Amino acid sequence: MRWMLRRGWMYVCALAVSAFALFPIYYVVITSLKTRSEIYTRTPDLWPNHPQWGQYTRVFGAGHVGRALANSLIIAIPTTLICVLVAGMAAYALARLEIPLKRTLLMLILTTQMFPLVVLIIPLFVLMRNANLIGTYEGLVIAYLAFSVPLAIWIMRGFIVTIPEELEHAAMTDGATRVGAMFRVILPIAGPGLVATASLSFIAAWNEFMLALTFMNTEERKTLPLVLQSFVGRGDTDWGAVMATSVIYALPVMIFFLLLRKRLMLGMTAGAVKG
Amino acid sequence: MTTTPGQAVAAGRVSAPRPSAAQRLARAASKLTLPVILLLPAMTIIVGLVGYPLVRTIWMSFTDTRLGDLINGTSTWVGLDNYKQVFTDPQLRSSLVNTVVFGSACVVGTMALGMAVALLLNQRLRFNWFFSLAVLLPWAMPALAASSIFKWLFDDRYGFVNWALVKLGFHHFQDYAWFADRNSAYVAMFVVVVWQSFPFIALSLLAGLQTIPRDTLDAAAVDGAGALQRFWLVTLPLLRPVLAVLVIFSTIWDFRIFDQVYVLAQGVPDRAADTAAVTGYRESFALGHFGTGAAIAVVLFCVLLLLSIACVRLVGREART
Repeated sequence: MRWMLRRGWMYVCALAVSAFALFPIYYVVITSLKTRSEIYTRTPDLWPNHPQWGQYTRVFGAGHVGRALANSLIIAIPTTLICVLVAGMAAYALARLEIPLKRTLLMLILTTQMFPLVVLIIPLFVLMRNANLIGTYEGLVIAYLAFSVPLAIWIMRGFIVTIPEELEHAAMTDGATRVGAMFRVILPIAGPGLVATASLSFIAAWNEFMLALTFMNTEERKTLPLVLQSFVGRGDTDWGAVMATSVIYALPVMIFFLLLRKRLMLGMTAGAVKG
Repeated sequence: MTTTPGQAVAAGRVSAPRPSAAQRLARAASKLTLPVILLLPAMTIIVGLVGYPLVRTIWMSFTDTRLGDLINGTSTWVGLDNYKQVFTDPQLRSSLVNTVVFGSACVVGTMALGMAVALLLNQRLRFNWFFSLAVLLPWAMPALAASSIFKWLFDDRYGFVNWALVKLGFHHFQDYAWFADRNSAYVAMFVVVVWQSFPFIALSLLAGLQTIPRDTLDAAAVDGAGALQRFWLVTLPLLRPVLAVLVIFSTIWDFRIFDQVYVLAQGVPDRAADTAAVTGYRESFALGHFGTGAAIAVVLFCVLLLLSIACVRLVGREART
């Protein structure tokens, strides 16, 4: 009885928080499996009585979600690769080499994280327009680098700083050049950090909505969030399609998070809390 | 100066004559080659895609730029007119007030729930793995997907929330239109934002809680401090640096919020629930008032900058004392 009083209420709270966290996710999954008449009812059931995949085949067919999925990948993957390469080089320099004004530089890079994207969007739009990059994959990749590179530099620098410098010195004494030591010693050890950074920049590009909304003006190039938004924005919303698309859109990110839970946490705290 | 030959050799002064100015310059340059090569791509991106646009937006906020001007590169200098408009036009001004009030509410809600969840996670209950996985998942939901889902949950006719509230005896919520009124729309948006952002806060605070030495808490318990006292007098002060950083970050995130408001505040009459980021975007790309849009963006940016500086100062002073 005393145990019930001392610990029991904690379990009740934990259960309540879990329900709050999981219920919307559960609800979107079951709604996407419901039939039309089950979705549009005033007495919603908490499970699909006649589970069916109809919504998914429908959004992949008429909704062009497949194309949007491909577009999102075509943009997010190069963004991630370029971001990791460029930011990795800068992070190494900022972690290890003697650079005048290093602290100022680091603070400046961090400050870029404070900008609301809406501050940058008009000039970026003009830049892209003048370079004829509106509505192209390249344009959006370049725009995404603007906010993913600074954060990636901070996170990766956090990882590289924790690697003992003696390892490099040892390699350099053994005849390796600095660049050689960087590739053969640091890169393998910093691997987990690299994976975390890559995942975070992939997720950022995957989730981004405002820039895509502004730059992607043709149906054929729309990314997943744009297609999802076009379903929600219509007068009478097709909720079955919205729910199925939401599941398709959220699934990759959820898988990333579940697989890389610890590393992502570490990356976020290295980037955020150490700042 | 008296140096022994040995020291002189060690210092490299005897074996090599003093290098000429040109040599030293060349050596300094070669020392800088690697950093420059490594930093150049990143700096090009940051300066070109963040620095230049920022300066350009600030400049644009003092001009009367329309779509035609944007294409031709022309513009008329109007001084502070755009800023005057931002602070006098009722709709633009209310979008700024909305941002501050709604943003602050979200920060407080997120921090409170995040702290409670972190403390619970730190209790290491049975099924803790399940609890921490459950807490992680909302964070993984893209903002736009979360907004769509909650728009459905809060749907007036078929939404789960109204159904549940009516079931619980609140008959007032039969067909209640959450997004037809500013305040109820904010309640729904508050739930979305808190739902999405408390996981990161909770998990970061948990990491902070785990660095607090058990001994300190045990010592306090031996001295007769109750659970609440231990929290106020030991845990909270030790967590303060982490808390401060998290407050700054969630303030920045919640004040510049776009996706959720763009989707959920769409149906609110007179766009009364729009926040600054959405209003700035709409002024620019829907109405073509790029100068006004830039001015709103700059005001939002200044608010965030001032808040961050204030927070950093506050933390810095506490760290010293």
